[in-house]
Amino acid sequence: MSWLTDAFSGTFAQRALLEAVMVGVVSGVIGVHVLLRRLPFFTLAMGHATFPGVVLAALLGVNLLLGAGVFGILVVLAVALLGARERIDDTSAIGVVLAGAFALGVLLLSAQAGFSKDLSAYLVGSIVTVQPADLLITAITGVVVLGALAALHKELVLGAFDPDGLAALGYPAVALDVVLLLLIELVVVTSVPAVGTILSVALIAAPAATARLWTDRLGPTMALSGALGAASGVIGLVVSRNLNIAAGATIVLVAAALFAVSLVLAPRRGMLGWRLLAGASRGGEVARAHQGYGG
Amino acid sequence: MSRLLIEPFQVAFMQRALLAVLVIGVLAGAVGVFVVLRRLAFVGDALTHTVFPGVVIAFLLGQSIFLGALAAALLSALLLTGLTSTRRVTPDASLAILLTSFFAVGVVLVSRERSYTADLSGFLFGRILAVDWAVLLQTLVVAAIVLTTLVALRKELLLRAFDPDGAAAMGYRVDLLDLVLNVLIALVVVAAVKAVGTVLVIALVIVPPVTARLLVDRVAGMTAISCALGALGGYLGLAVSYELSLQRGVRLASGATIVVVLVACFLVALAAGPGRRALARVVGGRPAAGNPAGGRPAAGPPTTPSSEGAG
Repeated sequence: MSWLTDAFSGTFAQRALLEAVMVGVVSGVIGVHVLLRRLPFFTLAMGHATFPGVVLAALLGVNLLLGAGVFGILVVLAVALLGARERIDDTSAIGVVLAGAFALGVLLLSAQAGFSKDLSAYLVGSIVTVQPADLLITAITGVVVLGALAALHKELVLGAFDPDGLAALGYPAVALDVVLLLLIELVVVTSVPAVGTILSVALIAAPAATARLWTDRLGPTMALSGALGAASGVIGLVVSRNLNIAAGATIVLVAAALFAVSLVLAPRRGMLGWRLLAGASRGGEVARAHQGYGG
Repeated sequence: MSRLLIEPFQVAFMQRALLAVLVIGVLAGAVGVFVVLRRLAFVGDALTHTVFPGVVIAFLLGQSIFLGALAAALLSALLLTGLTSTRRVTPDASLAILLTSFFAVGVVLVSRERSYTADLSGFLFGRILAVDWAVLLQTLVVAAIVLTTLVALRKELLLRAFDPDGAAAMGYRVDLLDLVLNVLIALVVVAAVKAVGTVLVIALVIVPPVTARLLVDRVAGMTAISCALGALGGYLGLAVSYELSLQRGVRLASGATIVVVLVACFLVALAAGPGRRALARVVGGRPAAGNPAGGRPAAGPPTTPSSEGAG
């Protein structure tokens, strides 16, 4: 194992870079599934909801990831139970759970000393102080998540587009949904301590949405999304070091900038590409039909 | 009981804090009804984050934080309405990106400051006990504007919520109505930013109306309960956090305590809801105008709730 830990030691800057690349790739790839199933709000809630788990684990002196993971599972259960109630739609269920869990975390933390410092580290992360052990955990998580996504690719995609078809073919549809949610949770839980709750959602949603603007096919979307996530991490770290500003937030802004540029420039789906197509088809019927088909 | 519920509010700063949370609670409860009916919890959450950079920029420039929040709120409501109506990207993806990038701008700007972490938590969670009369006045003005708009456009907004195609067919500008609602949500955040901060506002906007929805069917009753709950949660939360900090030496953030009280009310309603509806069925009335649950008076028709039986 020593060669593995050796690879992950090195200077602060090298470790931060490695962490940013690994988190970027894994978040980017799983982000495609998150967008396919319209789960960004759920992912955001999961990030916020790990907070009381982290605080509790710190109070009890157990592993932070364990606390975050347990609370993540509780959140999945709470949202599922509340959303099943006839009078509560899923979005409202997520909203209530997010707000409640986050307030609980703030409440627990406010009873401690050093309130504001811990809190901001949690919200925006501190990627520059990432430890070799953190890197190892991120690497293992990455391998597990990417491996599971590759092995279950066909089933997960079918479940996203045609859940009834998946069940009709005899696949355990509910179990597959749970597996995907757990994989998302794994990514969020391992990335939040290093990059913060806000950034973890940004790295999941932005690269995938950007990749989706450039290609319609799923495989290339995932590859591009992972590459964009890693690129956002590297560029963001370099910029933040040069300007001396918060690293996590800078990475988010790079990912968002890539999205904004693609929104304008991407062929067919971008604003400019859309205009050209609309102009070529006099009145834009084709463009509108294309949008309907794609969206 | 009176020691817990009345005594804390004999100090001037606690009276101002109480007035602020009551106004904000009613305001958020009223706007929240539309947020829940339209399933806009994610939009609401996004708007609470996008106001943040405005607050930071105003702080850095030495301008009024209120104005900064207002400018950011209007800009982000416009952007959000535009982005979510485009079909190039799914609305939830664009919401997530807008939310995180606006928030990141705020964090980047704060991170240049020396008092970074203290400032950050102040903006995010507010300082309710530091509310002065000027802040209170701003909150009251914003509340008056939002509530007036809600009353004036009530029918149109409801029609849009339940039957967007019908609203469009009747000649209403649906996109304009969406923009109005988004601006109203953003204004609630602006009104609340100094007192409870940007992050916990979402709880005030979502939890009371969802709770009310569990108890009644009619929109008017839902609005009344939602507003009352918002105010009640603010009152109880403030009293509890004051009592515990002063008497027991446990320091609890008042904003978070308010939210936890609201969530507790939600859980009570979750347990009481089915029983209450069964009761209404037995009594034979409409399931909407029913008996109160958990000792709460006046759950039914659109009268303003004059008192909350919480003593």
